[in-house]
Amino acid sequence: MPPLATAENVDTEAGKTWSIANQIAQLITADLKTTTSFIVADSSDVRVPSYPEVTAPAFAQWRAARAKFLLSGFVNARKDGRLTVGCYLYDVQSGREVARQGFAVTPNEWRRAAHRCADTAFVKVTGNPPQFDSRIAYVTQSGRDEQAVKRLAIMDFDGANHAYLTSGDSIVLSPKWSPKGNEIAYTSYAGGDLQVRIFDVAANRERPLLASGRESFGPTYSPDGRTVAFSMSTAGNTDVFTVGAGGGYPRQLTNSPAIDTGPSYSPDGKLIAFVSDRSGSPQLYVMNSDGSNQRRISFGRGVYGSPAWSPDGERIAFTKVEGALSRIGTMATNGADERIITGGPNDEQPTWSPGGSRILFQRQDPGNRRMGLASAPADGGEARQILTPQEATDPSWAERQE
Amino acid sequence: MNRKPLLASALLLTAAAANAQINFPRLPVIVPLGRSQPAPPPAVAPGMMGSPSALQADLVVKSGSDTVYFPPRGDALQPNATATLAAQARWLLANPFVIVQLEGHGDSNDSRDYALAIGDKRASAVRDFLVLQGVAPQRIAILSWGKERPGSVRVGSTFVAAGPRVVTKVVGVQPPVPQYPLPPAQ
Repeated sequence: MPPLATAENVDTEAGKTWSIANQIAQLITADLKTTTSFIVADSSDVRVPSYPEVTAPAFAQWRAARAKFLLSGFVNARKDGRLTVGCYLYDVQSGREVARQGFAVTPNEWRRAAHRCADTAFVKVTGNPPQFDSRIAYVTQSGRDEQAVKRLAIMDFDGANHAYLTSGDSIVLSPKWSPKGNEIAYTSYAGGDLQVRIFDVAANRERPLLASGRESFGPTYSPDGRTVAFSMSTAGNTDVFTVGAGGGYPRQLTNSPAIDTGPSYSPDGKLIAFVSDRSGSPQLYVMNSDGSNQRRISFGRGVYGSPAWSPDGERIAFTKVEGALSRIGTMATNGADERIITGGPNDEQPTWSPGGSRILFQRQDPGNRRMGLASAPADGGEARQILTPQEATDPSWAERQE
Repeated sequence: MNRKPLLASALLLTAAAANAQINFPRLPVIVPLGRSQPAPPPAVAPGMMGSPSALQADLVVKSGSDTVYFPPRGDALQPNATATLAAQARWLLANPFVIVQLEGHGDSNDSRDYALAIGDKRASAVRDFLVLQGVAPQRIAILSWGKERPGSVRVGSTFVAAGPRVVTKVVGVQPPVPQYPLPPAQ
């Protein structure tokens, strides 16, 4: 991964194009290093290619360095004040171009171009869905217990562009990105009522999902973004409902006398995983997205909660409480092959990375009781802490698609 | 509005019936009476009732506690809870102006959604009990805090999370809701 080249070193709002090119190269390197699919040579360790070399690399040199792929590119200033970021991926052995992508971005959006460029390489080499131009929505918390102030916050997956969305006047919970990554459905205590609200991130506007949504909570979008599934209490019991993302009259999917809550759609939109205590303790269930064919899938010891369907549709992540340990695990969608992937003792609320390679979750430090976010490889491994300005809970991670 | 003369004549009739020994000329007149009106609810300013916090303190003193506890992941009322709730119902019947909110709580071990659901179910169980004791359902609102308000109770020298419970909170006062709807004003 050499630094990106620039045809002409020009001043922009975000600095000289040459310095942007260097930063983009560093960011792409950092992105690719978050995965286990690459061994990335730092841009500081490789020769700076000349501008013509971007489209005609000296393959003999890269072969001598035993590189498998070469990611190269350029940053040019455009006449309209924006930047053109070009991105080329070459197979060094065969000397063929594998992928090429160009982006026109405003100078201050160069990070997005870098993430998209890293995505291009990642998708081509691994065959996985893109995951670097993604954002994390979560609940930031200051104060403890009865005095806790909770606000909706978003940031890029690498922690950049952090922003608060709500003021903290009322408690907010469980944000979930829409599939397009432009809206967030969440639970709010605004006005003293527990209710589902929708936040439009680009327009910085929010609205209630239902005209009268007393005691509704825990929303999640269907994969096509047209439907929101949520929990609502009617006549003293909580059931799973769906409603159009624009609002309307909710449709009841479950009607057992027990609690049914925590819905999560499968990526094809045909199935919904949820939590029910109809067996006497909270367990995981799966049903068709019209509510039919409800069946229990979790039979292990302990109680289960917060199911999250993986992006490839193969597995369901969950929180499992067993004795004093609350840990994250995954299981096949029929309940087989349960694997616990974190050590606890207070891990909750799993969400998948857009590519499905990692699971992000909320973790409480057992020593100082501080809540934070951490991510672990989806098939188990060392968890990595995600730094946030304040305490953090309830993560949701989604790729931007606009 | 001609209700006043009508009422006046009705009063006259009653007075006549009570005073039977006076030889009163029989009145062949049939007075068209309006429909009987229930007494309008007395208008009492909230200030005269005391503040919600004073009423809350009174509730705790008169009924023993404003909180009833539940077993983990359970929503069935325990025997000591029903005793407390019966006392709360008596207090609510004696203070018909009070509006309460039942705040249900989950356990810190519950998942986020399940804690909200079970908190709501516990509060609903308490509401059903109070309504069966005669408290008007319109006076009772429900809110689930899930695990957002863990609370604390003293155990020996330390404080621990209060756990699964429902707290009866006085949120305001208003004139009592009549048992049946008033006829429209004429």
